[in-house]
Amino acid sequence: MLESTFMTLMKFIIPLYIAAFVIYAVRAFKGPSIPDVILAVDCMSFDIAAFMAILAVYFKSTFLVSGAITLALWAYLLDIYVAKHLARGEVGA
Amino acid sequence: MSEILFYLGAVMIIIGGICDLFGAIGLLRFPNFYVRLHAATVGTIGGAVVPLFGVALLALGADFLPHRYAIAGASFITGIIVLLAAPAGATALAYAAHKAKLVEWKPKVDHLAEVRGND
Repeated sequence: MLESTFMTLMKFIIPLYIAAFVIYAVRAFKGPSIPDVILAVDCMSFDIAAFMAILAVYFKSTFLVSGAITLALWAYLLDIYVAKHLARGEVGA
Repeated sequence: MSEILFYLGAVMIIIGGICDLFGAIGLLRFPNFYVRLHAATVGTIGGAVVPLFGVALLALGADFLPHRYAIAGASFITGIIVLLAAPAGATALAYAAHKAKLVEWKPKVDHLAEVRGND
């Protein structure tokens, strides 16, 4: 009962997330400056992290969620390193 | 009880998908980097944190899942990480873009420059 409800829910959810991912990718490829590209990649990473948590319920697999945690932390690390490189001109500790 | 958790999580996932699409359209259509930060906030907080909490509630309510407590706890932790990391990263990026003068910026009102010019 609940499983068939979830499968019909996924038919509405998957096109929304894939359309959002494609539009973020367009902005990431044509972004005029470096902060635009980094912001688009950041939004894309958080989007994929949420979508992987939904796919973990869809495929009934636990291992996808551990990838989502790593992806969220990686996007934050990319932000901080690029911001420090742009502000100070170096990437140090 | 489990049906209530399941449908609450399903509604949160649908809200997250709609917010994600609106944030993506805003990120494509807005004119300036500092304006695009607003759309990026809609896309990360509304489009990633809300569906992650929704997945946590839905996995707690779903009886058909094996290891449902592991999926619920891990997605809750991921939601908290995104909730803390996305505003900090956006703030650092905006500070760096303003300091390195990478983005063309024409404000209509700039009180800080007026105050500094009067000194």
